[in-house]
Amino acid sequence: MTTPEPLTLDIREELRRGGEPLPHIMETVRQLAPGQALRLLATFEPLPLYAVLGRKGFGHQATHHNVEDWEVLFTPGTAVPEQPKGKKPHTTTVSTGDWPAPSAFLDNRGLEPPEPMVRILDSLEHLGHGEVLEAINEREPVFLYPELEARGAAIHTDKRDDGVHLLIRRGA
Amino acid sequence: MTAIENAVPAVSDRLSRWTLLIFACALVNFLLGQALIVAGVTWPEVAFTAGSTLAAVHLITLGWLTLLMFGALFQFVPVITTKPLLNQWLSLAVLILVEFGLTGMTVGFLALNRGASGLARCLPFGGTLVLAGVLLAMGNIVTPLLCSRPLALPGRFVLAGLAFLLATVLLGFTFALALSVPAFTPLAAPLLASGVGYHVLAGLGGWFTLTAMGVSYKLLPMFMLAPEERGWWGECVLQFGISGFGLSVIAGLLSVWRPQAVLLNAVQHLGWLAIAVAVMAYLIDVLRLYRTRKRARIELHNRAACGAFLSLAAALVIAVVLVASHRLAAYAPALVLLVLFGWLSGLGLTQLYKIVPFLTWITRYGHQLGRDAVPRVQDLVDEARTSPWFVIYFLGVALAALGAFINVAYVCRTGAAVSAGATLGLGFEYWRAWRGHYAGRTRPATPIPPPYLSRGGPAP
Ligand code: HEM
Repeated sequence: MTTPEPLTLDIREELRRGGEPLPHIMETVRQLAPGQALRLLATFEPLPLYAVLGRKGFGHQATHHNVEDWEVLFTPGTAVPEQPKGKKPHTTTVSTGDWPAPSAFLDNRGLEPPEPMVRILDSLEHLGHGEVLEAINEREPVFLYPELEARGAAIHTDKRDDGVHLLIRRGA
Repeated sequence: MTAIENAVPAVSDRLSRWTLLIFACALVNFLLGQALIVAGVTWPEVAFTAGSTLAAVHLITLGWLTLLMFGALFQFVPVITTKPLLNQWLSLAVLILVEFGLTGMTVGFLALNRGASGLARCLPFGGTLVLAGVLLAMGNIVTPLLCSRPLALPGRFVLAGLAFLLATVLLGFTFALALSVPAFTPLAAPLLASGVGYHVLAGLGGWFTLTAMGVSYKLLPMFMLAPEERGWWGECVLQFGISGFGLSVIAGLLSVWRPQAVLLNAVQHLGWLAIAVAVMAYLIDVLRLYRTRKRARIELHNRAACGAFLSLAAALVIAVVLVASHRLAAYAPALVLLVLFGWLSGLGLTQLYKIVPFLTWITRYGHQLGRDAVPRVQDLVDEARTSPWFVIYFLGVALAALGAFINVAYVCRTGAAVSAGATLGLGFEYWRAWRGHYAGRTRPATPIPPPYLSRGGPAP
């Protein structure tokens, strides 16, 4: 059996125009043949995609060609749970299998507590019920958990080298 | 699935309900201890071992610093470990036991001043209550620490600190029995005669300093956005700290009964050397922390904390000089003063200026976030108003330490009065933060949608 050639998707122009590439990417992923990889060209490292496609079983391999020139190869069936060196992954076990793809994204790195928590709760209120927010934080937002619980939202936490990746789904 | 499973305890487990009350009681004890010093009924006006000095010393060590640490640990150990305390009500029980025990101890110490009267029995009685409180607090804090594996660096500092706390309290309790119960006196007399220094070293070093280092390793990076992983440096501080305080205290205590043993003497000096290495490594690491922070402008509590780090550095240099010139015994009280007021109380007062508003804010406004316009944490304080108090506090400490080292009592007392005044001023500012005094102006309601929220994907 031969593996099909990777399908290439160039979202650099779209990104420079300030567009929203995620629906486009997800659509392309749906069109992939079984076993086919996706070659994505972007202007930055698409960190949130790693989590999104990782849950669909895609592993990723990123190459940084130039300042605004990234090439990432997403290969199906190669997703390995992220295991930063020396650190045990700390993941709250919420199954996210049936969650929709994130419809909003926040990069909270470089913000001092409690600002990440304020932003997440602000943003969450602007999502529809059941929608998912993706966020990257500098550290685990411990004070956020009880607030989310009180609001009936669910959170999935994933500690990685580049920050703590959060998927938060607004309650129904 | 909409429930949050595992590792995410319920609301009530996240916030320590009694921490702010514990802080308030601790601050009152600190002011009482300072009042005794300013009133001139303690060292340097009278002997360092006089009952009234001991009363002030324990109001500050047990009543202020130990309660402060407990309050902070009840809140921050669950944060470090993401595991809940054993029981929230235990925290209140600890506060009550320590406060009543301390009252008994204070009465006992003051009674000692007038010669061992019947009232001096209050000393071991109060000590028993304190011991019970300390054991409960340890159970409350150790439970989440032991449930958390692997234990992060701050947690390991705290575990070590708690072991020294137990040693300190048991030693103090033995002294109390020796001083006030004649039947015990012969048994514990040698310990009382030459073991007090190790009670002090275990308390100020092993318990406070190790714990303060651990807590600062969590708090400083958190609000300065500096790397939390301390790698080799943090490990070095911890290992040298534990072995340094451990060796010097254990060898020192054994030498109470074997004063001539050369080996014990050598081990003790080795311990001191390790302490010096640990403190130096810590200070260098703190400097690295400030240097590698991502926030250009840091808040008042971390700017003012430099006063505490400078005090620790000064104490280290002075201690090395004193040991090298065999004059430690003569100047030990002055060194204790610098460590207690400059390093430990200094760090405590500065970090309270963040913890109090933060806890107040999260308790009061957490559930309104995203729904109503709420003030920011910064809106609860007025840094410009408060910063002079920190300056005055550390200037007062410097003056008091100077007076202590040159042995001029009124200079020392003047310095103590200045820092006591500043403590009172800071107390008002914490109170105002808690009362929401400055929170009148709320920030404008969030625009819809928030500007930082990028729908669909990460902003380039
Ligand atoms: C964290 C806990 C404690 C710390 C940091 C601490 C600290 C100190 C310090 C610095 C001194 C020397 C002060 C001076 O000589 O004027 C001292 C002496 C003393 N402490 Fe404590 N103490 C603690 C707990 C206790 C407890 C629970 C007791 C028991 C009742 C106690 C009983 C004593 C006694 C009796 C002395 C005087 C010994 C003598 O006659 O010289 N201490 N303590």
